[in-house]
Amino acid sequence: MNWLVRALSSSVGKKFVMAITGLLLCGFLVVHLAGNFLLYVSPEAYNEYAHKLHSQEQLLMVAEVGLFALFIFHIYLAFSLTRDNQQARNVSYARRETKIEVPGPTRRISNWMMATGFVVLGFLILHLADFKFEARSFDYEGKEPFDKAVMILKNPVTMGLYLAGSIALWVHLTHGFSSAFQSLGLLHPKIKCTIEWIGIIFAGAIGIGFGSFVVWAMIQ
Amino acid sequence: MSESLDLTLKVWRQASHDAQGAFRTYQLSGISIDMSFLEMLDVLNEHLINRGEEPVAFDHDCREGICGTCGVVINGQPHGPDTKTTTCQLHMRRFKNGDTIVIEPWRASSFPVVKDLVVDRSAFDRIMQAGGYVSVNTGNAPDANAVLVPGRDQEKAMDAAACIGCGACVAACKNASAMLFVSAKVSQLAILPQGKPERAERVLKMVARMDEENFGSCTNTYECEAACPAAISVTNIARLNREYFKAMLVSDPV
Repeated sequence: MNWLVRALSSSVGKKFVMAITGLLLCGFLVVHLAGNFLLYVSPEAYNEYAHKLHSQEQLLMVAEVGLFALFIFHIYLAFSLTRDNQQARNVSYARRETKIEVPGPTRRISNWMMATGFVVLGFLILHLADFKFEARSFDYEGKEPFDKAVMILKNPVTMGLYLAGSIALWVHLTHGFSSAFQSLGLLHPKIKCTIEWIGIIFAGAIGIGFGSFVVWAMIQ
Repeated sequence: MSESLDLTLKVWRQASHDAQGAFRTYQLSGISIDMSFLEMLDVLNEHLINRGEEPVAFDHDCREGICGTCGVVINGQPHGPDTKTTTCQLHMRRFKNGDTIVIEPWRASSFPVVKDLVVDRSAFDRIMQAGGYVSVNTGNAPDANAVLVPGRDQEKAMDAAACIGCGACVAACKNASAMLFVSAKVSQLAILPQGKPERAERVLKMVARMDEENFGSCTNTYECEAACPAAISVTNIARLNREYFKAMLVSDPV
């Protein structure tokens, strides 16, 4: 397997892993968002889903280990690639101007991947502390999942930080989704425009979708 | 009588690779708008020589936009404000009277400054030596029609082969990545039947060499494509990624 490790350690190989882990994490976002939408159906539907999910202990453990590995690879490579890229230019320009005549909707966003990635990571840690580890100073005792979600989301600090997380994720995916296809060599001219638009719509749907729960909690 | 320009130039001066560089400001007056950018630099150097100062070193050769030797960053843009144009083909009519023009060398760790605006681009040569060739038997030239090339493939290969190796892609990239150059060189051979036998080995070796030369990685910003004087498309980068992916999975280890 040496050949595989060597091939994936190159600059092109690292971008493959970045793209594949990124797209798999997009898959996780879709499943997570679909589950969360049950909040809008009824408290019972959401509670039943939450209880059923948590009764699958082995499955959940495999999924969590898998997700953790995806995040670790994605984040480690972000740092590794950023370090390589910074070393590639040791003296910066006195003046820089783009030559892209009409910047496409997603192009300039590539400069924001690290910053938005950090916000998403911060949000993720808070989110796990809130819901999984129940580490914040809420009264978690005896609450059903629906009531727990409303209680956490109604907190003003949560609202601000969760909204920031959703917006950062939106921006991150606006570049990340279509960029992953280019990194994997799949952005052939015949599908390029379609994939770029799917990326923009997907990012918007995920960002608005997750952000909507905060707004919804306000009126509960 | 054509118009003339009075200009302020801020030029990067660096005596040698190890010396500390800095911008020097020069005033030029009476520059004809019909001059090319390099002719304007020639005029500056005439003045400097007459004053007993060291002229500004800059690379140039054909001055016809085909050799890829010239190239400086002009007001933050590789090869200046025009698209699909080399520095030698940029003309002073693109500037206005009283303009300040900032002139810098390509900035990349892999392209160390030799002197002033001249950088060492031999990293590109070493990438080419790693795999940017086809191995053919010497002897009589093969019959012209012995290997048929579909017109569509020939067009794509020629589009990629238009790369003049000037390094503007590296200069424009925020990561100083050489992906557009390497992808053009991989593509021009991968598409043609003559390039097929060494296809997998070529892409693995050229990418490995590119990394050894410390070029950055591609973040799909596409500044390279916009800066390229030969209009090389980033679709070549997608092809390079595809070639690499295939070579990684289904070829003998190099």
